[in-house]
Amino acid sequence: MYDAPNLERTVAQDDIKFAARKVQVYYGDTHAIKDVDVDIEDKTVTAFIGPSGCGKSTFLRCLNRMNDTIDVCRVEGDIHLDGEDIYDKRVDPVQLRAKVGMVFQKPNPFPKSIYDNVAYGPKIHGMAKNKAQLDEIVEKALRRGAIWDEVKDRLDAPGTGLSGGQQQRLCIARAVATEPEVLLMDEPCSALDPIATAQVEELIDELRQDYSVVIVTHSMQQAARVSQKTAFFHLGNLVEFGETGQIFQNPQDERTQNYITGRIG
Amino acid sequence: MTDASLNPSEAPRKGSLHTQNARTVRRNRAEARFKGYGIAAILVGLFFLVVLAVSIVRSGAPAFTRTVVDVEFTLSAAQLQEAESQLFKTKAYQTAFINALKGQLDERGMQVEVDNAAIERLMGKIGGDLRSFYADNPDQVGKAVSFQLAASSRVDRYLNGDLTRDSIEDSRFLMKTDLDLVDALEEAGIIRNAFNWTFITGTDAGVDNPGGAGLGASVIGSFFMMLVVLALSLPIGVAASIYLEEFAPQNKFTDLIEVNISNLAAVPSIVFGILGLAVFIQFMHLPQSAPLVGGLVLTLMTLPTIIISTRASLKAVPPSIRDAALGVGASKMQAVFHHVLPLAMPGILTGTIIGLAQALGETAPLLLIGMVGFVARGYPDGIMAGFTEANSAMPAQIYTWAARADASFYEKAWGGIIILLAFLLTMNIIAIILRRRFERRW
Amino acid sequence: MPLFWLIMIVLAIAAGGFALGRQRSLASAGGDNRKLHSLPSYYGWNVALKAAVPAFLLIIVWLLAQPLYVGSTVSSMIPDRAVADNSSRGLVMAEVRRTAEGLDNAVAEGIMTENFARDLRADITDVTQRLKDAGQIVTSEVTQPILNAAQRFRVMNAAGNLYMTIAALVLAVLGALWGLKEAHFDFRARNVVEHSIRAILVGAASIAILTTIGIILSLVFNTIEFFRLYPAWDFFTGTSWAPSFSGRGGSSDLGVLPLLWGTFYISIVALAVAVPIGLFSAIYLSEYASPRVRAFAKPMLEVLAGIPTIVYGLFALLTVGPLLLTIFGRDGLDWMQAGTAVMTAGLVMGIMLIPFVSSLSDDIINAVPQAMRDGSYGLGATRSETIRQVVMPAALPGIVGAILLAASRAIGETMIVVLGAGAAAKLSLNPFEAMTTVTAKIVSQLTGDADFASPEALVAFALGMTLFVITLGLNVLALYIVRKYREQYE
Repeated sequence: MYDAPNLERTVAQDDIKFAARKVQVYYGDTHAIKDVDVDIEDKTVTAFIGPSGCGKSTFLRCLNRMNDTIDVCRVEGDIHLDGEDIYDKRVDPVQLRAKVGMVFQKPNPFPKSIYDNVAYGPKIHGMAKNKAQLDEIVEKALRRGAIWDEVKDRLDAPGTGLSGGQQQRLCIARAVATEPEVLLMDEPCSALDPIATAQVEELIDELRQDYSVVIVTHSMQQAARVSQKTAFFHLGNLVEFGETGQIFQNPQDERTQNYITGRIG
Repeated sequence: MTDASLNPSEAPRKGSLHTQNARTVRRNRAEARFKGYGIAAILVGLFFLVVLAVSIVRSGAPAFTRTVVDVEFTLSAAQLQEAESQLFKTKAYQTAFINALKGQLDERGMQVEVDNAAIERLMGKIGGDLRSFYADNPDQVGKAVSFQLAASSRVDRYLNGDLTRDSIEDSRFLMKTDLDLVDALEEAGIIRNAFNWTFITGTDAGVDNPGGAGLGASVIGSFFMMLVVLALSLPIGVAASIYLEEFAPQNKFTDLIEVNISNLAAVPSIVFGILGLAVFIQFMHLPQSAPLVGGLVLTLMTLPTIIISTRASLKAVPPSIRDAALGVGASKMQAVFHHVLPLAMPGILTGTIIGLAQALGETAPLLLIGMVGFVARGYPDGIMAGFTEANSAMPAQIYTWAARADASFYEKAWGGIIILLAFLLTMNIIAIILRRRFERRW
Repeated sequence: MPLFWLIMIVLAIAAGGFALGRQRSLASAGGDNRKLHSLPSYYGWNVALKAAVPAFLLIIVWLLAQPLYVGSTVSSMIPDRAVADNSSRGLVMAEVRRTAEGLDNAVAEGIMTENFARDLRADITDVTQRLKDAGQIVTSEVTQPILNAAQRFRVMNAAGNLYMTIAALVLAVLGALWGLKEAHFDFRARNVVEHSIRAILVGAASIAILTTIGIILSLVFNTIEFFRLYPAWDFFTGTSWAPSFSGRGGSSDLGVLPLLWGTFYISIVALAVAVPIGLFSAIYLSEYASPRVRAFAKPMLEVLAGIPTIVYGLFALLTVGPLLLTIFGRDGLDWMQAGTAVMTAGLVMGIMLIPFVSSLSDDIINAVPQAMRDGSYGLGATRSETIRQVVMPAALPGIVGAILLAASRAIGETMIVVLGAGAAAKLSLNPFEAMTTVTAKIVSQLTGDADFASPEALVAFALGMTLFVITLGLNVLALYIVRKYREQYE
């Protein structure tokens, strides 16, 4: 087990975005996440790996309170973003999610034009003074999403008409358009073919320049390729967390060892 | 899209999460407003339901009571002989009765003018009733008999507060002066309210006798109609559903049937009435106003509903059951009739009952096949006559009453609705119980 | 009731055949049912079906054909001079039928002998007098040709019924014998029976098609008849509706436009009530309500859908109308003359449609994938922003379909407008004025004592045709849109 740095010290450090302590998640009577402590650094890609149902997606959804939309779900423990408790009563999840963007497993463009898909977030958060500014934000986001060249001539076409890989990059562009500080990605490549996956992975690497990225993935190769830090979840527990290289080459825990060598999972 | 505008703003940039910025406050207000619209919509819907329920109960309840005049009356043998010897026999009975009534009022020390015409206006011509009573029960002559005679509907409405001394107009039905007599009789306890059995068991009366109108005959009419609907739509509906769900190949003919069923389910009911009129009455010369014709029309109307719900029940039976039956060597037909159909039966019956309830309340097609022009004055004699003789049906009877000029019938119409809704409620409760009891989750 | 007994006898033959067939097949296998190709009861069913089905088909066809044949034969018997100028052959035939029925009843009551009723030389005055004695309605229209036609009518019908009975019984017996002959142990009874049952199932399913054909034929023939008497152009473009029953034809104005206007106006008012309330209810129930609120409010709203329309009609006439009159009537704003008005009918119809709109929209909103909502929440949208800008646009086609279905309901609704909307056809914009609709006029034109051959009665079929075409168009369009919508998310 790695040594959990204590909370007071990490808050002082500027490069820690999320600090989670003793996080418990319950679905009704099921205890889905048990005692998770983790620190997520800024301008870093952190990968969550582990077998299906180990709770990595559930934990990811705690970071921007997406679990609030599920009635039976209950979260305990502390999760701090920049030193502020995000489960504090005063926090409006709407404001939180503007800071912590999310990309989902299946590409889910809205049934609107490509332009409106990307402009949606900036519009609801009031980020543009006028149409020209909005155009600028959309273009910037689409460029960041590495899809600008493919769609710049058909911004009015429906987002649902794009290919799977394009849709997912559109969703990433949509998420970065609101200028989040953290980007959560829940298995963003599981519905994509290898070429599209490579494009998205390349994109993630670029996004690291500006954001803290947290990615849940089933693929250990992907985790090894894109992340600097890796967390291994198993049956709701965070088993091991550390530098990606270390986790894959020299895991401390037997369960991690077993998973990485393909014996569980 | 008010708050999705391009306003420059305090975007939730680097501010603290623990303070809501102005934009979030505004957005949350819009959120609360929107949610408020939703709650308001639900409440308005429920409010309409309550208003409807209250107005039905309040306006309909009086139909179940009526004002009766309680008089203890002894007819001596001498009076009987004297009355029978006269030219106007019933008049003589009436006079004897009125004298007895006067006596009772005097006993209580009341001084009211009682004249024969006033009594006739209040209670109708009672002499005939008296005479036939004594003709049927000669042994009652000379004994004290307690008579309960129905007062006219105007008296009903006066005592209900529906009519007042100011709003009443002198007519051959009721004079203002009669009200003194009514008040006196009420004070003496001679006039009182009683449950109106006639309304439930009786037949429709003519336009000038709202008090005597009853729903009984039309309940029977509706009953025979529902028998026809049940006997035809259940087997046909089940057969059609089995074919479409289990046997129909994917082809143009099947598509045609499917399209027809889904469209027929949405054809206005009045069009089925036109169909009934043109085909069953004009072309086939079946009797007008007959429950048989009504039943046929309603069958055609309910079939799509029953087919749709039956197919849903058949679909709910998992394919593994069919596979199991086929696996032991049953033919497809045997698999369906021995295994699938019995398992789907509770669902089919539930759907059928709900379809029947729908048919029971349907009015428009009945208007066109002549069920409103007909005044159901009697019960059908015999079972065959029940199907083929002209009769009314509950909703048609209610419409007939609502369309009559005399406002006294409105109360009857509301009362009829209470009975109709009671039937519908019972049927729906049976359906719900059936579903609860036999519902199976695979 | 001879027909009743005929049916019973055929059923009895089938039942007897069932037992015999079963027995015979067993006997052919020497009592060992393992040697039979099929279960013994299939041999029984084979006999029963062969006995009953052809006989019943014959009866049905006969019952349909006989009135046509007898009617046309008798009708051709009546000389032209017997048809009065202001009358029609159809009216005379109705008279013939009534007289024949009168004769039947008189015979049944023993006032006439069968021979007397058939006697072609019978004196008209004598017969009518006897009919009157028997309490039958006899009009002065009964003349010697009509009496003769009625007698002929009776004779032909009686003969027809007799032939039908004989033919049906013979057919049943022959069918049973055929089935019995087949009842041998190596006969593949199950396959034959299953084929017949399958045919019966197909027949049952085809009733939907027959119904549609019946509707279309009954509308089309009468509408063509109407357009022969009244120009189609005047019907579709006329702006005045003023049927007269005093004279026949000519003097009536039968323009459909005022009726269509009333229909659409009332439907629009109804939708203006039902769509916002129904849609917001659906949104609240599917996106906000806790399971407990939903479990209570949803069935409660659906109660509104289960209430028969006659109840709403009465509610409009006796509760809502007077209520509106106190507010908008002479004592209030003075916009309203009587309780029956577009507003009254529209409002009540709107109440009726609330659950219709809300449950359809509820289904459609629930079909929008959760991923779509997650995407929006993930960007920091509130619930209402998500609903208005993501869920609603996604659900829009489905909701448009639902509203079209509701509109078709509103246009076809009868009882509420018959009782609540008034009887005068008007082209007016004032929603507090009484107007009338296509459905209300169908009822009023067909429920009077009008002669079915007059344009005033036949116009109802043209109105029915108009109504059918409009609602069918709306339904087809709506169902198409909804189906496309569902496919999109499946």
